[in-house]
Amino acid sequence: MIIIGEKINGSIPSVGDAIARRDADWIRKLAKRQTDAGATFIDVCASVKEDIEVETLKWMIDLVQETTDLPISVDSPSPHSIVDAIKFCNKPGLINSVSMEGDKVDTIFPVIADTKWECVALLCDDTGIPQSAEKRLQVFDDLMAKAKEYNIDPSRLHIDPLVEMLCTSEDGVNMILDVMREIKRRYPTIHITGAVSNVSFNLPARAVINQAFAVVAMTAGLNSAILDPTNRDLLGMIYATEALLGLDDYCMEYITAYREGKIGKIKK
Amino acid sequence: MSKIQELAAAIESGKMKVVPGLIEEALNEGIAPDVILNQGMIDAMGVVGEKFKNNEIFVPEMLIAARAMKKGVEVLTPYLKSAGTEPIGKLIIGTVVGDLHDIGKNLVAMMIEGAGFEVIDLGVDVPESKFVEALKENPDVKVLALSALLTTTMPALKSTIDAIKEAGLRDTVKIMVGGAPVTQAFADEIGADGYSEDAASAATLAKSLLLG
Repeated sequence: MIIIGEKINGSIPSVGDAIARRDADWIRKLAKRQTDAGATFIDVCASVKEDIEVETLKWMIDLVQETTDLPISVDSPSPHSIVDAIKFCNKPGLINSVSMEGDKVDTIFPVIADTKWECVALLCDDTGIPQSAEKRLQVFDDLMAKAKEYNIDPSRLHIDPLVEMLCTSEDGVNMILDVMREIKRRYPTIHITGAVSNVSFNLPARAVINQAFAVVAMTAGLNSAILDPTNRDLLGMIYATEALLGLDDYCMEYITAYREGKIGKIKK
Repeated sequence: MSKIQELAAAIESGKMKVVPGLIEEALNEGIAPDVILNQGMIDAMGVVGEKFKNNEIFVPEMLIAARAMKKGVEVLTPYLKSAGTEPIGKLIIGTVVGDLHDIGKNLVAMMIEGAGFEVIDLGVDVPESKFVEALKENPDVKVLALSALLTTTMPALKSTIDAIKEAGLRDTVKIMVGGAPVTQAFADEIGADGYSEDAASAATLAKSLLLG
């Protein structure tokens, strides 16, 4: 499982405050904790006004890179901020994100065309989030046409089919699982990602829903996720599911995660 | 860390991919193939067996160590042959008729192989006659290891030993038995030469039976 550590995000109030007061240790601590917990990428989202976004991202990216060798996931709603900010990264990481909205793809894809940068792509366009599986797959087709145009291999893409809230859904997450399976069928090497905690919005005991969602989505092809890697229960569920799905030779990822203290009961 | 220690550490942690390279490097340093086998590999498997016995590691960790060991033996075999080092002995193993369990039997086979034996594995659900035949075909086999995991197939341990007696082969081979429901008392009762309760002690037992 590719884990995009979500904790360095200015839209989280405590992190937003730390960014505002330029609390470097706060950022370093979050980078360290997520690295120790087994993140694959460290997401960095400033969540500030666009005129100071690039300088803020630079400050954050520098701090993360001082702390960890993990690649950065550059997170911004502005494709222009992303294009500027990826220059601060020591090595190719992940772009979070593009979609078929506005000029996002046409701004970002040419810049990463001949690089090893990976990219999260959301299945929405200028009309919003399509409601049916067919329409979402249509957005996917449009996106893949662009990827082909810029010679971006499917294995560099993390498709986020946009999981919606379970509390207002009429068929649970079935539609999104169908979309995931179909995408994976068409492009076996593509990654499927999502924000695991969105699904449980406005329901009680959200953690349980999030864990169950991770399991069912993984059976449909989810192999990348934006989540809090320090959430031991969720991580444990993910490692266990990978082993159950035969994606973990000799259960060694699972055992190693346990040995490293990332999952299971905290040893006293 | 010496090359031998590096190799032992790689075997212990089941890092199969680095094993061939480490063996080549050790050979290039002029270390004798049998030293590599004994100190770099067999001793490492001994440690793995001990850890498993003490519940310090899980079954998959033992399996990958055994897999790394097997890879190492593959790489080392041509050198051992040209250096004149032979396996310490030949052993036949199998799960008795009516019993399809193979995980425990495989673990035992791997540990015994790790101890330096050449192992002939007859698989699971092996009829008495097949053990007899295999013993006839391999007169140099000194130890036979029989596994049964069910109380209902334990009697097949006895019938297998009886069949070997009837074929006049009982004196040519030492027989060891094992499996979850099997005990030392049962082993004694059916006329086996030895019993062990886990894979690590099975390897030790096989060695001591071989040496008489």
